Amino acid sequence: MTNKTVLNCISSFLIIFLFSPAILNAQNYTVMVTVKGIVKDASGNGIAAATVNVKGKVSAVATAADGSFTLPVPAPKCIIEFSSVGFKNKSVEINGEENIVVVLQESSSQLGEVIVTGYGSQKKSNLTGAVASIGNKDFKDQPVSNLANSIQGKLSGINVTSPSGTPGAGLLVSIRGAQNPLYVVDGIPMISESNSSLSTSFNTTGEEVGQGQNISSITDINPNDIESIEILKDASSAAIYGSRASNGVVLITTKKGRAGKSQIGFNVYTGMQKVAKKINFLNANQFVDFINEARANDLKLYNADNNVFGAGFDATVLTDPLNYSAGNINTVWLDQIFRTAPINNYEVNVRGGNEKTKFFISGGYFDQQGIVIENYFKRMNARINIDHAVNDRFSIGTNLSISKTLNRRSFNDDTYSGIVTNAIGASPLMPVYDAAGNYSKFEDYQASWLSDNPVKSAHEIVGTTDGYRLLGSFFGEYKFTDYLKFKTSFSADYVALTDKLFLSPITTDGAPIGGRATKANFNSQTWLNENILSFQKLYGKHNLGALAGFTQQGTTSDRNATSGQGFPLGSGLSDVSVAAIITRTPVAPGGNNRLHSYLARVTYDYDGKYLASVSIRADGSSRFTEGKQYGYFPSFSAGWNINRENFMENSKTLTALKLRASYGFTGDQEIGDYQNKPLWQPAIYNGQSGLKPKLITDPNLTWQKNRGLNVGIDFELWNGIISGSSDYFVNTRTDLLNYVPIAGTTGFATLLTNGGEVEDKGFEFNVTSRNIGTTNFKWTTNFNITFQTNTLLKTPIDNQLLSAYNDLNPTHILKVGQPVGSFWGVKYTGVNAQTGDATFEDLDKNGTIDANDAQILGKARPDFYGGLTNSFRFKNFDLMIAAQFSSGNKVYNLIRPVYENLGYSNDGGLGQVYANNSVNSLKRWQKPGDVTDVPRASFVNKNYIENSSMFVEDASFFRIRTVNIGYTFSKKSIKVLSGLHIYAQVQNLFVFTKYKGFDPEVSSNGGNIDRTAGVDYAAYPPARTFTFGFNLNL
Amino acid sequence: MKRIFNNIFTICTSAILLFSCQKLDVNSPTDVPTDLVFKNADGLRSALVGLYNNLQQRDYYGAYYPLMADLNSDICTAGGYDIPALNEIGAHAITSSNLYVERIYLALYKCVANANAILASVDGINDPNLSAEEKSSIKGQALAIRGMVHFDALRMFGYHWDNASANGVPIVLTVQQAADVVLRSTVAASYTAILKDLNDADALLAAGSTDAKYSNKLMVKGLLARVYLYKKDYANAAAFATAVIADGTFSLLNSADFPGIYTGRLSAESIFELSFDAQNQSAFNGTTYVRPDALRTEVFFLASQQLNTFFEARPTDKRSELVDFVNNDAGILPDGRTLKYRGEVTKDNPAYILRIAEIYLIAAEANKLAGGGLTYLNTLRTNRGMVALDTEDIPDEATFLQAVLDEREAELNFEGHRFFDLARYQQMESVLGVANSNAVFPIPLRELAATNNKLSQNPGF
Repeated sequence: MTNKTVLNCISSFLIIFLFSPAILNAQNYTVMVTVKGIVKDASGNGIAAATVNVKGKVSAVATAADGSFTLPVPAPKCIIEFSSVGFKNKSVEINGEENIVVVLQESSSQLGEVIVTGYGSQKKSNLTGAVASIGNKDFKDQPVSNLANSIQGKLSGINVTSPSGTPGAGLLVSIRGAQNPLYVVDGIPMISESNSSLSTSFNTTGEEVGQGQNISSITDINPNDIESIEILKDASSAAIYGSRASNGVVLITTKKGRAGKSQIGFNVYTGMQKVAKKINFLNANQFVDFINEARANDLKLYNADNNVFGAGFDATVLTDPLNYSAGNINTVWLDQIFRTAPINNYEVNVRGGNEKTKFFISGGYFDQQGIVIENYFKRMNARINIDHAVNDRFSIGTNLSISKTLNRRSFNDDTYSGIVTNAIGASPLMPVYDAAGNYSKFEDYQASWLSDNPVKSAHEIVGTTDGYRLLGSFFGEYKFTDYLKFKTSFSADYVALTDKLFLSPITTDGAPIGGRATKANFNSQTWLNENILSFQKLYGKHNLGALAGFTQQGTTSDRNATSGQGFPLGSGLSDVSVAAIITRTPVAPGGNNRLHSYLARVTYDYDGKYLASVSIRADGSSRFTEGKQYGYFPSFSAGWNINRENFMENSKTLTALKLRASYGFTGDQEIGDYQNKPLWQPAIYNGQSGLKPKLITDPNLTWQKNRGLNVGIDFELWNGIISGSSDYFVNTRTDLLNYVPIAGTTGFATLLTNGGEVEDKGFEFNVTSRNIGTTNFKWTTNFNITFQTNTLLKTPIDNQLLSAYNDLNPTHILKVGQPVGSFWGVKYTGVNAQTGDATFEDLDKNGTIDANDAQILGKARPDFYGGLTNSFRFKNFDLMIAAQFSSGNKVYNLIRPVYENLGYSNDGGLGQVYANNSVNSLKRWQKPGDVTDVPRASFVNKNYIENSSMFVEDASFFRIRTVNIGYTFSKKSIKVLSGLHIYAQVQNLFVFTKYKGFDPEVSSNGGNIDRTAGVDYAAYPPARTFTFGFNLNL
Repeated sequence: MKRIFNNIFTICTSAILLFSCQKLDVNSPTDVPTDLVFKNADGLRSALVGLYNNLQQRDYYGAYYPLMADLNSDICTAGGYDIPALNEIGAHAITSSNLYVERIYLALYKCVANANAILASVDGINDPNLSAEEKSSIKGQALAIRGMVHFDALRMFGYHWDNASANGVPIVLTVQQAADVVLRSTVAASYTAILKDLNDADALLAAGSTDAKYSNKLMVKGLLARVYLYKKDYANAAAFATAVIADGTFSLLNSADFPGIYTGRLSAESIFELSFDAQNQSAFNGTTYVRPDALRTEVFFLASQQLNTFFEARPTDKRSELVDFVNNDAGILPDGRTLKYRGEVTKDNPAYILRIAEIYLIAAEANKLAGGGLTYLNTLRTNRGMVALDTEDIPDEATFLQAVLDEREAELNFEGHRFFDLARYQQMESVLGVANSNAVFPIPLRELAATNNKLSQNPGF
């Protein structure tokens, strides 16, 4: 049988199963009585969202905001169970009562917590895989545009780094070493990459050299709309998402409505941001002295040996009086481009409903001005989540969010022609404006590194990205019986982006052509239909769950761009349509892909003691050729709640102990569309359109596979006073989808093929300790740490050299036995104390330092990372201090050769120095005997090597990420309101690090290509943010 | 009620089955599957347009092939933002991992692959809309370009001056699969293949084909003259050069108008001039001139002081006006910029692949002093404002050869000839002061890695 027949059989079976009369008749769902009541805590406040169910029945109701509930029970005499996170479970036996009041006692145990898993949810105590979960209270009110910011340092195994401080920038989310997870929002897999056409950087000849700014489309989601985030870390939990799960899965659940009195909430904060760290540069006097010293050093050498700089060297450049001197001008360029920028967030939400209809509606406005002048990110969003019970069996609902983002970009940021990069090394002798009030011409001043006056670039180059996004789903659920239900959903993710870039006619690049503009459009539609049949029934002590489903998904996207040049001078007009000449801007074309999937899972537990789960997903992808389209991703897991065994049951110390083990397979198909067929592409010559070869393909191209083993332990001491878990994992990614170099004589440079193997293994540990828990004073500590290694086991071409930017010498190497993304260059061995020259290790001992002396210089990945969060509550005051750390990671600080060029003047005429130097150069060698690691200044010689360990820095850090102090007004003092909480917060308070750049996390190119990660080309630095805000509930 | 829901589910399920019948097969709206390209005459015509577009790659005649070659000689100096890969070419100390060299090599063989795809299909297409003449023309053009590209590969990566050397270049004559590797031919075999393609093209192309934007019969004859000259087959070189001159279709402009070669397009001097336009720009302007007050860091290819000195010794030479050593930013001085590629607005500077002036120089060099070469040299010299030389000025062949080489430097600078001239006469050491093993570019390290070191490297790299 072919795959297709098998799958058709499965689906036929599904249909028969669904409509089998036997099943329909099997129901015995007769409701006799309805019990009403209220669930309260010890101090008499209603507990919202507590779970209420009849013992032995799976279907449950949740309490309303005031704690009230209405539960249909099969008989007047039965046992009702109550549970809620943070409270001890309670069972109440009723005997005909129809109205009850239940008081739950507080508990530190988290075992009752319900965790969202792929296509379902489970009690934490029943989980067999490795799932990290974080609730709204842990990330609300943070002044960030990207929800991933809020989990930084909070969860073990998850390393979130901010490669750029740009408002709206993408974040690097690495789950157990694998980057770019799948985001699933309320069940909809969401496009999370940057969709902007402008996110590339170009060199002076218009050639694309790097990725540049990455505006993540995850920022379309308002973090405060999120109820919880669950991260499926191990392969067995993620395997139900099959082909897209090999980098882990992030499940985002938005807030849902609750029955009861409508609650209206306002969340408002306002604050200021300042650059967290600046790089200090030489002032005008120091700069001139520095150049003079560089020339004097060289002159001394020249006088000793006239051929030292080659025959025919004209020594007058070392003796001519400088045509500049330190006058009144002393521009601190970073101060000119940075500013103190406001950040504001306003949000209103209404949550309510009744037994039949529940809703959550929210609207928000977020406005973050960038710390670089002119730059901002704004978001307007609205959400409506509705659940409606048509009758006892049938319910429908919708989750819908619409957002608009407006982004004034910082031109070419994170690349070497960006505003920040330009301001670095700009001459302090150059004023911002000349005497006439015009931008001063950078050509007239020292520092040839510049491509324009940075302030002029910031004002006169206007790049914007405006986006609309609709993310919505409509679903219906039908309960055949108490234990069998069917859910079908139709979802859509629609994105429309418009990118504009305008270089006004007074910019350097715009001047010769009368200004240049580009306008690009991108739109993408993803539709998804999911059909899931699920079963959950308790047979005595045997709890059996099962689900089977069929899902299908399609994405179509379209992208185009037009450029024009020649705009009316001084008019301010910038639309492409008024350009004198239309030019071409090549952009990546749109795409189209489909995915058909079949999934099934069986879970079983015996008395909550022995747990097991088996799942499989089959994915068919249009990205591969027939015969290679389907991938099968099974998983197995088991758990043992040891504390439920007789011998442990009475332990007062170890109140919970669970062992877990899992093994599973996931896949990866992230190769872009149309990579499976050889193609020719359009090409023009002399006004005619034709075709030329585009792509050569591997007919055997198929899924990248990931197999993962996870062994874990969960524990609680003294009923949750201390709780935690620990996991050991080994993930092996095989058949890596890689572009491998092929012989140029084929007419192609690379071939996309499966090859290579990478192993990530590590150990995670997290613990929560409720140090003090009295009524008036509470102190809780969370700590997590992850040790992790990454090793390249196989690769089609060993020792492959890679460059972070196309026009740089190789910066990275792929070498078997080493981590992916190892830095490559020559090793710096310090300053010769006699001559002041830089020395390097001559590996091949041939007397010259060149590419043959290069070696591995470190890696971008940390050895271990984690976080530490302390929360205090004293009466009505609360204080939270969250810190994050990372150790063993290095950064190739490739912008430093620019601002630590030691006076080198790279042009043959030696008319201009390359760039101003940072104050680090004050430590330079000045006379024989000086012991320092900064070589002597030299005007003629380059006393450094860019691709060397001189610029590979230890980027380990300990960051105090968030300090939040708040006060909650007691209900008695504010009668009209049901709650008011005010707070003040500092984000990114301090970083302890030896790293010399702006920030150790910063990585140019967005860093999301792990093979060339960890390069700093003066990416947009992060801010320190002070906010003040309140949460008000009516 | 139950019935209603049953119906709903039936509908949903039917919808599911309906959807699932859709094939998991998608096609790109902006590309054509390879097996559908050569269906008919139109496909063939499209592929030919693609071939010319391939010649326009920035790494080939979009600027870098001729300019990187010049940078590796004494007429050009590296500018740019301290780009190591550019600097090492300027210092004639190229390493095999050089990114520019790597990309030039790839660009060359992309063109070869495109030509091979056409040549593999052309005979099998029997389309009533394809006349025999057009078929010959397409085949002839593809062969001419394949010959030219292989020759460009040979003179950059092979020991073209030594017919006995094993260090030729890969000659690719068939459509390649991803795993295929073509090893280097000997120099002699490389020449044989190149000459075969050009001679076949000569036979196929109609006599009347003279459109300088496309490969034409005279361009093929001109290339044959060039190839024979490099091969030191002077009799053939002279014969083909003389034939092109005698044809008269392409001729030297009036002395006063000659800068029109560069300010205008498709002057009578251009035998093969690759056209660009505002929608399809070349990189010549952006790498040699950029803008009037460009800094040194913005200009990749600067005119060297040597070229200034060279022209200072030729005060009447009108071609000295095409190099500017005065109106530049202080950082560029004492180097200068070529003015052959002005046009900052449209950046549509063409690639001057073959000009009649070069044919005169080939005729002069191939005929030698003894064979009347001086006449050809003087025709060009006087046209460009230089005095005619006589036998008193040129007493022997060595002096004559130097005069020809100087004339080539004056005429063809920044058109990608100087480095190859130095290589032909093994003058790396005497002129550039580096070992003669630097008379070729290294085979890119990438190629050695991708072929598991099956390809051999040039000696000295």
